Amino acid sequence: MDILIVGMGKLGYKLAETLAGPEHDVTVVDLDEQALARAVNRLDVLPVKGNGAQLQLLEDLGVRKKDLVVAVTSSDETNVLICLTAKKLGCPRVAARVRNPEYAGQIDFYKEQLQLDFITNPELDTANEVARYLLRGYSAHLESFAGGRVGLFEVPASAVPGVVGRTLAAVDAFQDMLVGAIYRSGEVIIPSGATVVESEDVLHLIGRREAVTALIREHSSLGQRHVAKRVMILGGGKAAFYLASRLLTSGLSVKIIEQDEERCNYLAAQLPGALVICGDGTDLDLLQDENLSEMDALVSFTGHDEENLMLALLGKQHGVGKVVAKVSRSNFVPIIEELGIDRAVNPVLISAGELVRFIQGGQIASLSLIFGGQAEVMEFVVPPDAPIIGVKLAEARIPPGVILGSIVRRGQVFIPKGDFVVQAQDRVIAFCLHRQLPELNKLFYPKRRGLGHELWFGRKGSGKHSAD
Amino acid sequence: MNFGLVARVLGNILLIEGGALTIPLGISLYFRERGAVIGILLSMGILGLTGLFLSNVPVRSPRLKAREAVAIVTLGWVIVSFFAALPLVLSGAVPSFVDALFEAVSGLTTTGATVITQVEMLPKGILLWRSLLHWLGGMGILVLTLAILPTLGVVGFQVFKAESPGPTPDKFTPRLAATSKILYTIYTALTALMVIAVRAAGVSWLDSFILAFGAVGTGGFAPFSDSLMGLSPNRVLMVVLAASMFLSGVNFALYYDLLKGRWKQVWSNSELRLYLGITAAAVLALSLNLYGRVYGTLGETLRQAWFQVSSIMTTTGYTSADFDLWPSFSKAVLFALMFVGGSAGSTSGSVKVVRLLVTAKVVKREINRVLHPQAARPVIINGRVMSSDVVQGVVSFLLLYVAVFALGSLVISLEGVDLLSAMSAVAATLGNVGVGFGAVGPTAGFVGLSSASKLFLSFLMLLGRLELFPLLAVLSPNFWRE
Repeated sequence: MDILIVGMGKLGYKLAETLAGPEHDVTVVDLDEQALARAVNRLDVLPVKGNGAQLQLLEDLGVRKKDLVVAVTSSDETNVLICLTAKKLGCPRVAARVRNPEYAGQIDFYKEQLQLDFITNPELDTANEVARYLLRGYSAHLESFAGGRVGLFEVPASAVPGVVGRTLAAVDAFQDMLVGAIYRSGEVIIPSGATVVESEDVLHLIGRREAVTALIREHSSLGQRHVAKRVMILGGGKAAFYLASRLLTSGLSVKIIEQDEERCNYLAAQLPGALVICGDGTDLDLLQDENLSEMDALVSFTGHDEENLMLALLGKQHGVGKVVAKVSRSNFVPIIEELGIDRAVNPVLISAGELVRFIQGGQIASLSLIFGGQAEVMEFVVPPDAPIIGVKLAEARIPPGVILGSIVRRGQVFIPKGDFVVQAQDRVIAFCLHRQLPELNKLFYPKRRGLGHELWFGRKGSGKHSAD
Repeated sequence: MNFGLVARVLGNILLIEGGALTIPLGISLYFRERGAVIGILLSMGILGLTGLFLSNVPVRSPRLKAREAVAIVTLGWVIVSFFAALPLVLSGAVPSFVDALFEAVSGLTTTGATVITQVEMLPKGILLWRSLLHWLGGMGILVLTLAILPTLGVVGFQVFKAESPGPTPDKFTPRLAATSKILYTIYTALTALMVIAVRAAGVSWLDSFILAFGAVGTGGFAPFSDSLMGLSPNRVLMVVLAASMFLSGVNFALYYDLLKGRWKQVWSNSELRLYLGITAAAVLALSLNLYGRVYGTLGETLRQAWFQVSSIMTTTGYTSADFDLWPSFSKAVLFALMFVGGSAGSTSGSVKVVRLLVTAKVVKREINRVLHPQAARPVIINGRVMSSDVVQGVVSFLLLYVAVFALGSLVISLEGVDLLSAMSAVAATLGNVGVGFGAVGPTAGFVGLSSASKLFLSFLMLLGRLELFPLLAVLSPNFWRE
């Protein structure tokens, strides 16, 4: 695909990093030369300096022939303007970031009346992610696939007896499920049967939901049933606002601590059900006065990563059941979760995941970036002309770094073994290291053009280079 | 330093170099040159083994930082030059290794300075290999690697930047591999066109290839000891070669724009205009000076002037006449042109027109600043404001270039040659021109210099081809400190 990304902030960069590769041609536009230099020095993208909302620039870049324009500058209005212009110039698909809560109600209007194909709101997405986590029963549950039939869970290896020190092939504790990824001291490993489990490992299990649930029930230490009732949110920004209103509608009691008086008044007016405290969230006395230790969950959503981290640790120390911290730098997520914080959320990563899901749309039904974007779990339907159809998995030359975790065929969940044969219309849930994505695609998507074309461009659909 | 990755890339480059040797091998087989065949086969064996060994070094991390990129480019050029000298030595064509190395560096850096007295005596395969080096080095052997091995693409921009001539290398497609392929396609097409044109002018096929490689790569190795002086009565050939040198001095990205139908953009390109302007002015100046004094007819004057201006300015170094015998003014013009070079993004060497353009604008700005101290005057090239980083880079490049030239001249003057010879020897090697005046003039070559001077000039050729900074960075002690 030929993709134009306007705005090389954190989200734009993450998106470019995720997309640039043999599958997509990525052009990036920004006004800041240093942001462009950073991108072009590390990624295989074409940098263009300029204002992406300018008609002339978009025309010069050949927006008409682009497959997609993504506008993720710091201004909502600019993003919408860019998308409107690109759409009018004939670009088939456009996506924008819009994060002002005052516009949140008009997203549908943007989509239907203004024909913007996709709107991402990182703060809203983050709030939803946290809400899902807080409202969920098991702390180990990460994601559901295939309409809830398949679940992805994370489990510390030490919590399941008979696992540590053995190779995965020798482990028999996991019936009807499979270890799709192992998280070991900050690195993601896509295991094979010969991988030996270490005591500090965190295993990512995928499989039939009931099977995984049963396993967790069997080993009670894996996760007590635990729904948060009382939630304290530190910081009253956009994400906090979205989260509070979401939790309130689910009937939870919400306490927000925010420093700015005007913002407090605004929040109190907009969220009548919440208790808004005007004060410094880092003030331990205030937190104790507000019954920190009685809380079921603490969400620290201030604007500073360091504060969020310290406050979440503080909450853990005071016996809060679930602590969540927002971090703005995606590469810190794994480190922070290692410190004992239950969930570190990164708006950029969540938004990038949403956008990638939208962009890969046709091919991939569901996709999550796990471990700070090092690996992906994706769900897709096998197309009728996939090269892998009719070949035993053991003979299909599945590259290292890729695992087919579960396959759903006519409502039935299979955990594929070496003799499994993939059919068309199967729903596949696969683990894949980010850099192996092209290899995975080779298994499931046939080459569309002649060999010469493939050799020349190394991918399909690229006869048009109109960028300057 | 990520040695594994550096080794793997270098290994791949050597394999490509070994692959390129099949062409001279075929020629030598065809002409039944026993010594050359053995020499080339031996070299291919050594290249293949070394290349395979290096490209199988385990790579721990695929990350390529600026440091590794610079190491790949500079070490790559040094190693490729070293191995390129092997066929010359092993075939017995050039017995001295220093001479062979000088010749190989001169070939790869598209300098075209030679230490071989009897070029006609060389085996045909070796003769072609010298010129093939021009062609490989002209667009850059790493750019070729990037085009052939797109896996490098993700990390290759730093490499591309370090190898491509000019202050702001153009990446004109999102994918670096695609940019490299487009550059090489244009380059190959232009070369093919020139081979046919030269052949049509009545030269043998082998010589057509050699002349076209020399002209399009802006190298300057000729199949004859007197360069092209013997061929100068062939008017058509002279015009074809002058045109091909001139065309090769244009930024290749502009040809891509032309193919895309962006005529206006190409025509308004300020570097191209200045390039045209300087060429026209120099041809005019030479013609006025030569007409009536050296050449009788206007046609002959213009042809010789254009050929020599194109040749020296694009840093090719073909000679159609012994310009050492021309009047001083003409020699001075040619000497000055050695410091101009062609456009950025072309195959030519030396300073490059765009750097002169930027420097001229900076000077103009300083003059204006005297009158309006507060005026905001950014340096604008092609409608775009040059960032102060780029401007600073250009100015310091120019200063460094002059400094290296001055110091180099001091070193070469130890040879005991006259000052003009020493200075032009340095200008001709640092600028990758390949021909100077006096002791290193059109009829003399670089044969008479000592081995130490040859090695020093080889270093200058590499320094000039890589545009000073990468090589100096590798030589600085800080580079090797982690």
